[in-house]
Amino acid sequence: MAEETVLNFVPILYMLGFGLVAAIPALVISRLISPRRRFNPVKFLPMECGQMPSGEGRSHFMMQYYSYILMFVVFDVMAIFLYAWGASLFSLPRAATLPMMAFLGIMFAAMGYALFLSGRKGIW
Amino acid sequence: MASYPQEFRFGNFIASIIWLVFWVLLIVTLVALPLIFIILFYVPLPLANGEVLTPYLFLSMVVDPTRTLPILQFFMQTDLFKIAVFPGFTYAALIAAVTIFVERKFLAKMQLRIGPLYAGKIEGIFQLLADGLKLVSKEIIVPSGADKPIFWAAPIAFVATAAAVTALIPVAPGWVVADLDVGIVAVFAILGFFPLIALLFSWASNSKYPFIGGLRALHQLIAFEIPFILSALSAVLLAGTLNLSGIAEAQQPYWFVLFLPISAFVFYISSLAEVERVPFDLPEAESEIVAGWLTETSGMIYGLIQLGTYIKLYALSAIFVVLFLGGWSGPQIFPQELGPPGEKTPLEQMLTLEGIYNPGTANAIFWFTLKTFGVIMLMLLPRGISPRIRIDILLHTGWYKLIVLSFINIFIALALVYGGVFGPEGILTSG
Repeated sequence: MAEETVLNFVPILYMLGFGLVAAIPALVISRLISPRRRFNPVKFLPMECGQMPSGEGRSHFMMQYYSYILMFVVFDVMAIFLYAWGASLFSLPRAATLPMMAFLGIMFAAMGYALFLSGRKGIW
Repeated sequence: MASYPQEFRFGNFIASIIWLVFWVLLIVTLVALPLIFIILFYVPLPLANGEVLTPYLFLSMVVDPTRTLPILQFFMQTDLFKIAVFPGFTYAALIAAVTIFVERKFLAKMQLRIGPLYAGKIEGIFQLLADGLKLVSKEIIVPSGADKPIFWAAPIAFVATAAAVTALIPVAPGWVVADLDVGIVAVFAILGFFPLIALLFSWASNSKYPFIGGLRALHQLIAFEIPFILSALSAVLLAGTLNLSGIAEAQQPYWFVLFLPISAFVFYISSLAEVERVPFDLPEAESEIVAGWLTETSGMIYGLIQLGTYIKLYALSAIFVVLFLGGWSGPQIFPQELGPPGEKTPLEQMLTLEGIYNPGTANAIFWFTLKTFGVIMLMLLPRGISPRIRIDILLHTGWYKLIVLSFINIFIALALVYGGVFGPEGILTSG
């Protein structure tokens, strides 16, 4: 378990590279054999169900459910931290589970409070 | 109506083909052959069956049935074979292709339709080939004002990232491209890229519907990433390792789904959300926002994104099998050797794959593929029977219900470990 090095991760990069090698020729071949008719500018307009598009394509947009996003940042990290504990559970003494439960308790009290507060103030 | 151009002549057609052949031959002679010789000069040649494998020997061994097997054996050990063919890309893409066809037939039967019928004599089995040809030969339309480099790169990145996930999946003992000690965490790390690619693509295509779809992909990540991670944690608790092969080996007699049914359910639901399938296909809700983040895709760009999606579906089903359904374990059904026992002629040796055939591995691959396909069918099922759910209900389900459900099963797993059922001296621990 101690010999995990960067080199163990290299096959994933090879696999990624093989995905690139497989996908790029598909686009190149498609570009070579497909027709290219560029005389009608209307067909390059962004799709808006047949209407002429109005306004910018990239506009300001209300990012809803903002409080979930804030909570996600915290709890995603917490979930990954639990893996460090879960993988070494067999070699830990049993008393070591108690602080872990306290940690979970604190996290879930905070989460419940955040969900309650954002629900009451209606800031979704 | 298709019509030939005005100046079409059969002679011109033949001449263009001859020109093409001429150019190919010219490039092969002037570039490819010297390149091969330069590479062969510098690269140390491998040993196969005790001999140095020169190109001449390679060719003579390939045509001689008595000497082909060692060379096959040699190539099956290389990394390139693993990456390109067996646990890697070709296997995943093949399963993805079969899934696309099976999905269409399966959904059609469920809704009392017939499904693809005309391409190919039997039940439309060449439908996929026809679709592929159609996608390759269609024009790719890049909308005006789009960010062109990202628009072209995002589908490629999507396929490559999906392929990178399959690198971590152990198909049989020892048959895995990257056997990491932190395998399951690496899976989560790579899966996190997909909503980002969706968001990048939707932002690059300079259109409103893709933009809304991309943001929905982000919300889906927020709703389902945490239950997804937490439901896999209980399997890690029982196995005591993060290595995916280790988790599969730890459930040799009893599959984890017997002890962790709630986790398996939560993992299944979150995987549906991860691959953006009905009822969680909000990013490409075709009845609300045209096609979501795929609105501006056309031709092969759409084809690549579909391929990536189905490879991802295979990867998530395979991880479900590894975590909860015992990986490759199953009753031994393959015989010790293929063919009748006794002395064999060289041709028979080649036909029965002597030296390559390993009953344990064949069995493992068979059961793994069977289970994975079962889980894939289970993931296809909701598309025929379920409507799409609203986005606030999605977030509510993820945060209020699934997290709590996955924690219930984490505590059950803890009780199993501390009650002496699993763990170093557990009664159900294998080996």
